[in-house]
Amino acid sequence: MVPVLMLALCFKVDAQVLNDLGNIEMDERELYTMTKQMGQFINRFNYEEDQYGKKLNPNDPNFRNPKKRKDVLPLLFDLDNPRTAGALRDFFVEDLIKNNQYMEFLGGNWYSEVSAKFKWKGQMVDISMILVLEKEGLGSKWVLSNVFFSEFQKYFPQGELAEREKHFLHPMSHELDFMNIYKVFNDPETVEYYASTDYMPDYLTLFFYEIKQGNLKFDHVESVKFHIFQIKNWYFEVSWFNRSGYNAGWLISNLIYLKDEEKAALLKLYQPKQ
Amino acid sequence: MLKQLKSIIILAMIALVTLCGATSCNSSKGMSKKEYKAAVKQAEHDLNAILNDETDWTLEEQLDRINELKKIDFSKKNPEIVEMIERAEQKVTNAIAERDRIAEQKRLEEEQRLRELEEQNKPKTALTDYFTMIANAKDVTTANNFIKEALKMFESPDAVVLIRLNNYGDYDRPTTAVNYLNYLKDQKKVNVAVDNVKYNEEHKITELELIKK
Amino acid sequence: MKKVLFAIAFAFFALTGYQAFAQEPELSPERKQAIDSLALEKVRDLSKYVKLIGSKNTPWSEANRVIDRAEELFAPDAEIGVSSLAKTKIEYYKVRQYLERLMRLNYDRVEIDWYKIQYVSDLQRQPDGTYVGVITIFQTFKGYDAEGRLIYQDTTKKDITVYVKRKETQIGGRLIGFWDVLLGDMRVKETTKK
Repeated sequence: MVPVLMLALCFKVDAQVLNDLGNIEMDERELYTMTKQMGQFINRFNYEEDQYGKKLNPNDPNFRNPKKRKDVLPLLFDLDNPRTAGALRDFFVEDLIKNNQYMEFLGGNWYSEVSAKFKWKGQMVDISMILVLEKEGLGSKWVLSNVFFSEFQKYFPQGELAEREKHFLHPMSHELDFMNIYKVFNDPETVEYYASTDYMPDYLTLFFYEIKQGNLKFDHVESVKFHIFQIKNWYFEVSWFNRSGYNAGWLISNLIYLKDEEKAALLKLYQPKQ
Repeated sequence: MLKQLKSIIILAMIALVTLCGATSCNSSKGMSKKEYKAAVKQAEHDLNAILNDETDWTLEEQLDRINELKKIDFSKKNPEIVEMIERAEQKVTNAIAERDRIAEQKRLEEEQRLRELEEQNKPKTALTDYFTMIANAKDVTTANNFIKEALKMFESPDAVVLIRLNNYGDYDRPTTAVNYLNYLKDQKKVNVAVDNVKYNEEHKITELELIKK
Repeated sequence: MKKVLFAIAFAFFALTGYQAFAQEPELSPERKQAIDSLALEKVRDLSKYVKLIGSKNTPWSEANRVIDRAEELFAPDAEIGVSSLAKTKIEYYKVRQYLERLMRLNYDRVEIDWYKIQYVSDLQRQPDGTYVGVITIFQTFKGYDAEGRLIYQDTTKKDITVYVKRKETQIGGRLIGFWDVLLGDMRVKETTKK
């Protein structure tokens, strides 16, 4: 835990230089070290704000200062998780500094996952909604890009390749007025095998349809996290840690070394239509 | 003031007449022919000078001279002198009245200018004093009383209050006098300076521009 | 020179109105700073109002007036979403409802304090050009009973939406360009007790 304390000192409180909103006289270091907003996560990740949370002007010598950034970056990981607190993290930090990689709010390739409870045909179910920032008009907005709902997914299992290969309409079916097409509908479980190889079920459309049908009703949000694919050859997740100590707020909760060519398939899950 | 001046002149004239009345200077009777002739000549000369603006005498000196001439009886032998005296007297009294009127007007204007200057400087301090008093009032009642007093300086409680943020033409949302004073009461702080004040004819504030410190 | 050019550019925007201004690519850091401060001030004003409303020493009529003023800081449709450690599901309140609830809390004495720490996000623009930001502040709440015993306390993180829009108005024949700052939805989340 010693390194954490040392890192916390990066955000040491100097009451003299701060505007006072309140009058609570105590050590507020925990609140300073807490990454309070996702925007602050990005600013700290890039070192675009100083230890007091003051935004740095792009022509400030400290703006994106690699040395300071290297000190701050390790604090942005969940230190209770070996996956985000070990050698992989150090490798990641090294890579970020060496290759000058930064996060960008409107840079795309980062998603918000909103886990929510819905009522579906009378019972509570978990649905994850994926949102992405989209530029529009004079600014931007969060839009729904996909949903994950086990009830939808179970209708479209991957299926055995051998089984899939058994289901097709032969290329001369047209000459027989597609008299064999009834076979498509014989077994609902295999109906999609008769679609194009490229076919991907559109869960978002199913989701909207169920809502319009009145089968699905929103109840509440359970949690929010972020999936970031912006950094070359890396994927990471940012989650909210509501805890005391110097390692709280929005922190990296998962980190994977992922080649950019491997990302494409994964990205399709977040944003099928890109 | 003008009236006062006139009455002083009249009083002076009466005094002179009374004074001269006690001596023999008020009539041509005591004069020799030669003296009278000289007097006519001098009178003609002086009166012409007065009527034609050819004298260096002040208006008061001219009037004194006219009053002196009036004591000599020219009516029998030289009625034209009497007529000239009347004309000269009319001219000089008119000129005095006009001069006094202009002076009075100038004085009033100066008074007005000084008052405005004073008003412009005085309320600025008084207003900021009120700001501080309201923000630091020991309780709500005291603060409300200060607000009531301060509002008397405004044309209406809804007089516009502008709060300028910087020199880039950025302002906060415009507010009103009553809302701003209550704001000071609630927030218990003053972080503005008075930048500009506009008044109506009654010297009440119609528009107040503040700047963030 | 830069300043002069900027002043000219600004005069142009001011004259041609909001639409033209909205097309301006970026605000200078100095002006963004001024707007950040203004937004933060509105949040500070709100925290003072909340203290006044919560205080049992504030006369009833004053508290009502202060509720009006606090409500004026918010956009009309703003909501307050509250959750606690025990109840993570968000409860929604209208601004007035939230403030009135605060006024009527059943404690003999209430202490509301704010931590000195605050965080102001970058301003982003939404599709209509309005700037949106979020300001984070932290509050402690303590409720005491008649015997002076502390019966409830919490520390909450408050994330407050701030909408900033450039507007213009005619005052005394003069065109005044001002920043209309309105608070939007506020998320109130209990943090771990300290």
